[in-house]
Amino acid sequence: MPQYQTWEEFSRAAEKLCLTDPMKARVVLKYRHSDGSLCIKVTDDLVCLVYRTDQDVKKIEKFHSQLMRLMVAKESRSVAMETD
Amino acid sequence: MVLLEREQFLTELTRLFQKCQLSGSMCITLKKYDGRTKPIPRKGSVEGFEPSENKCLLRATDGKKKISTVVSSKEVNMFQMACSNLLRASMDGLKKRDKKSKTKKSKAVQ
Repeated sequence: MPQYQTWEEFSRAAEKLCLTDPMKARVVLKYRHSDGSLCIKVTDDLVCLVYRTDQDVKKIEKFHSQLMRLMVAKESRSVAMETD
Repeated sequence: MVLLEREQFLTELTRLFQKCQLSGSMCITLKKYDGRTKPIPRKGSVEGFEPSENKCLLRATDGKKKISTVVSSKEVNMFQMACSNLLRASMDGLKKRDKKSKTKKSKAVQ
């Protein structure tokens, strides 16, 4: 269960996983206010990618929205990573 | 698992976040959904089922209460904005990405 230390690697790998098999992949966000930690996990029940942080709420939440859009998109097109 | 309408889901989600402030964790799961309402039988085929491409399922739980909603491509814009705002407002117990160390709330968990 690889834990990623850098956001770039995680987001690339996670997006790839979602595109490979959209029906199998799922994204889990776990937030603990008491610990002040946020954990995002992307898995397709074979591979599991995890990223933990206590800072990057905006990035994670933006990425979460991107993946949501990916899932509801009718045509399968690769979402270009929007860097703001 | 309670399946809610979009608006209700957002209201309940806000409530769940507020409840979790003191202790416990919030889990939000996102998955692509093809509109099936019956499980796929092992033998035979599913009758009269057309998988739809443009929906996703969102679930949220605080460990005790579970809520869920389905979002389709038509609603995704509005829902995504509302959801982002809600997440950003609720997940405020984290450190800011500043170089200066601002400790607003006591996060000396070591």
